[in-house]
Amino acid sequence: MPSMKRFLAFALMTMTVVAGCGGAGTASPSPSAAASSAAAVPTVAPTATAKAVKVGLVTDVGGLNDKSFNALANQGRLDAEKDLKVQTSVTESKKQEDYVPNLTNYAQQGYDLVIAVGFLMTNATWKVAKQFPNVKFAIIDGAPADDSGKTQNLPNVANLFFKEQEAGYLVGVIAATMAKNKVGKATHNTVCSMGGIPIPPVDRYIAGYQDAVKTISPTTTILNGYSNDFVDQAKGKEVGLSHISKSCDILFQVAGASGLGYIAAAKEKGVYAIGVDADQAYVAPGTVLTSALKRVNKAVYDTVAAVTTNSFKAGDNFFSAANDGVGYGTLDAVVPADAKAAADQALAGIKSGKITPKDTVQVK
Amino acid sequence: MDVLIGAGVLAATIRLATPVALAALGGVVTERSGVVNIALEGCMLVGAFFGVFAADRTGSLPAAIAAAVVAGILLAAVHALAAITFRADQIVSGMALNILALGLTSYLDYQLYSTTGTPSTIPLVPNVHLGFLENAPVLGGAIGDQSAIVWATLAIVVLLQLFLFRTVPGLRLRSVGEHPRAADTLGIDVRRTRYWAVLASGALAALGGVYLSLSVAGSFSDNMTNGRGFIGLAAMIFGRWTPVGALGAALVFGYGDALSVSLQGVKVAGVEFPVQLLSTIPYLLTVLAVAGFVGRSRMPAADGQPYESEGH
Repeated sequence: MPSMKRFLAFALMTMTVVAGCGGAGTASPSPSAAASSAAAVPTVAPTATAKAVKVGLVTDVGGLNDKSFNALANQGRLDAEKDLKVQTSVTESKKQEDYVPNLTNYAQQGYDLVIAVGFLMTNATWKVAKQFPNVKFAIIDGAPADDSGKTQNLPNVANLFFKEQEAGYLVGVIAATMAKNKVGKATHNTVCSMGGIPIPPVDRYIAGYQDAVKTISPTTTILNGYSNDFVDQAKGKEVGLSHISKSCDILFQVAGASGLGYIAAAKEKGVYAIGVDADQAYVAPGTVLTSALKRVNKAVYDTVAAVTTNSFKAGDNFFSAANDGVGYGTLDAVVPADAKAAADQALAGIKSGKITPKDTVQVK
Repeated sequence: MDVLIGAGVLAATIRLATPVALAALGGVVTERSGVVNIALEGCMLVGAFFGVFAADRTGSLPAAIAAAVVAGILLAAVHALAAITFRADQIVSGMALNILALGLTSYLDYQLYSTTGTPSTIPLVPNVHLGFLENAPVLGGAIGDQSAIVWATLAIVVLLQLFLFRTVPGLRLRSVGEHPRAADTLGIDVRRTRYWAVLASGALAALGGVYLSLSVAGSFSDNMTNGRGFIGLAAMIFGRWTPVGALGAALVFGYGDALSVSLQGVKVAGVEFPVQLLSTIPYLLTVLAVAGFVGRSRMPAADGQPYESEGH
């Protein structure tokens, strides 16, 4: 039957195109149809003040269950719903083509605030927010970007940025201190990191991590790699095994679910790992030293609170160590007191402005 | 040279090829019988999830593998029902089941393990340590410490090759995929043969899923198969619908994946090698194979065609 061949050729070519973006191998309905039909519907006016504020959250392809980025955003939504008496809802994006229809859907239904989770949605947010100037939008990790990828700030969009380099710096201090003093299984004075895809929010973590290691322990060898994926654990594990074979014994992952494979490599080979975004101590106790925290939940909560108090601020909003937007997570028992003290000292230094972690990757 | 053919790269090639090979073997069995099963991706995914789930609930590795294989067989059974009994469009049925598997596994994972992830203490498939190879150059590093499932896969390849091309039931299975009418007149039960083949393909794909969750990762995460079921179908075509060929194709694809790790940061003529390009190797090779550029590649004559016996 030739149709099987034709189908496979088509499917595989489609996958080739999306492979670089970590796309799932499922068929996509026509998103342009959904978007254009949405465009034809007139803008819905914001709800009257007497009604509860309505907040819609749209995840990126990582989904609600990534135990990291999207899960934290959802946690912020649930916290806001409980404390701030707002009405909220969430939609998962299964593929990148879902972004525009999902955002449009909330805007059309008269939601007051629509939150897009993730750098991958900058263009979708620009498209939809332009069409609905009376609806407030927030995008985590990015700013609205036009079709050529150029940032175009809009008066109804808050850009929620994190200083990931500060969180990366804090865990870098812990890694460097342990590598320098050869604590436990960290005997080779070599530390590594793995990003998912080299996009700015990922690279800022890695930049801060490397900056801390170079500052605290200049003799420590640094390696970095990418799994080119945010979903695939097997690929993340291969990068981990490759790093470990090059003497790495502290592995910092910045790659979502793919990074869980990087941690799995550390666990299997009996070395240490560092988690990211959420507190990942539970992933592998005894292996995960700590986690670089990015409190996406706080950013979501604060933005919802700002809408309820009419203090919503369009344009760039920064979440950093100074406002508890980033930090480090649970420390494993193996982390010595001097490493914790060094991290706390660095945290105080960052808050006071004495330390400004670098935000560009030095060791690629 | 080590980044091209070192022990590390070869070991990674084998690790990355194994799940693809298992899906491809499933594809060979089902398509040789004349049923296209693109739900292999879904079968892998339910295998990956239910392996972890059963490992968590029972604490027993054999029970976990059995549960995963049963889950894969059940999903394949739905496809068999649609494709063989109801003669539905096999691509549509397969795709629907893939979406079902993705939704079902991520829903269950969210309900059961959303806050803490799957437990870190579940029993995992052990690696086979070949002590006598410890000091052998390259070989020791490449195969001296591979998962038990890697070796099981190799055994399945050999057994399946012998079964399909050297036994009477294997001949019958192939005849059903080449000319079901002729097979029927010779007294071969076309539907039953095809049912068994589809169920077997579900079991093989599920084993590939178990490999990913209980051998590689030690946990489940959403969509963790990440298209390997489809890559498996590509390996099946590239391997010309034979088990040995499918294994070879899976190894080629796995080698491309392994290189995309080992060549990171390596400079070729002063320019950093674009490793992302390597992840397109399976797709490019498959397009070439499908287009007929890589030798003659002929699918079973009745592949994908529902069979209606004269009596109905």
